[in-house]
Amino acid sequence: MKTPDCERYIEDPEANASHLAACAECRALFGAESNVPSPKIDLNALPLAPWEGAQHRPWPLVTGAALAIFAIAAALFAASGVSPADTLAANMPTLSRLQSLVLLMRQAPIVVVGVLFIVVNTVLIALLRRAPKGLDV
Amino acid sequence: MSRVTRFIVPATMLTAVLALVLTLAPAFAGVADAKAATPASTDQPFLSQLSSFTTIQGAAAAMTKTAVIVSLLFVWIIVAVIVTLFAGREVRYSSVEVRASALYCFALGLVAFTSFVITAIVFSYLVPYIVGVPLLAALGVFAILTKVYGMISIFHAAGSIVAGSRTRSQLERRRWFRGDLAMVIVGLVVLGAIRLIPLVGTIIWSLASVFGIGTALATRFGRRDPAFLAWRPARA
Repeated sequence: MKTPDCERYIEDPEANASHLAACAECRALFGAESNVPSPKIDLNALPLAPWEGAQHRPWPLVTGAALAIFAIAAALFAASGVSPADTLAANMPTLSRLQSLVLLMRQAPIVVVGVLFIVVNTVLIALLRRAPKGLDV
Repeated sequence: MSRVTRFIVPATMLTAVLALVLTLAPAFAGVADAKAATPASTDQPFLSQLSSFTTIQGAAAAMTKTAVIVSLLFVWIIVAVIVTLFAGREVRYSSVEVRASALYCFALGLVAFTSFVITAIVFSYLVPYIVGVPLLAALGVFAILTKVYGMISIFHAAGSIVAGSRTRSQLERRRWFRGDLAMVIVGLVVLGAIRLIPLVGTIIWSLASVFGIGTALATRFGRRDPAFLAWRPARA
């Protein structure tokens, strides 16, 4: 590259296309008669990025799924002949299983619980130090 | 994976699986059932869930239980749609993370679950000193938020695996099955259908919860913030 014009052409070939007509060296390197194959990119061959099409909101699908699940639940309640409100109130997910575990483990010596607390949380912090995979989403 | 992580992951998975098995054992369910015993309780031991189909009363109770599960799926849909609308990018990032490093998320989820339990025990010792009550409440709220966000990420991951587009032309042809919202709904329906299977559904849903807690914490709720940065003085 001899001149600033050549450098400008390399930086932006489309804006400085007229430079090819004036410079024989650049014409030989980048012109139509040069043997450098132009890169052809097949977009469909590239992997699909997770963010492509992510903003699409198919409301018919969402509404249909919600209504279908609601209808199935209503039909099941009607078939079993129980009151939905009472049954749901009696079967709400609770932390009872965890509560049982906590009550049971409280019978262990406090030293053991303290050691477990330190060990498990140290391991948790050690695991959390790992950076997540840097995928662009 | 570093040498420390290679040791930590299998060791913690083993201990945490033991903790999970203990939690799901019938002895604990018996304690829970003594507190709130109903014919269609979702806290029944696994084997009694299977044997309940042999009688008419059992079948009726199973139908009621299915109705409860489907009703909860409806609640899940509402929550999942709201969270995905407000934090779609974060959910997508967590979903990508759990698909990219599933073992890490699973190990982290198990350790986090164990940590929640042991931290709750430690906080319960502080209840007589008043400070334990808000600490326990904060831990409970954090655990529930982690589980809810993580499960929505798992719905997205499952939906992307089942119905995600593989090519651009396939993506452009689709009218409904594209976008974060559709993937979350598809995943929720698929996992919800699996949830209805006795025994297997409970196990798979529990595993999904562990994966969800792991991916929520691994990605810091999809915000990609670094955790526990090492402090170093600036150089001139």
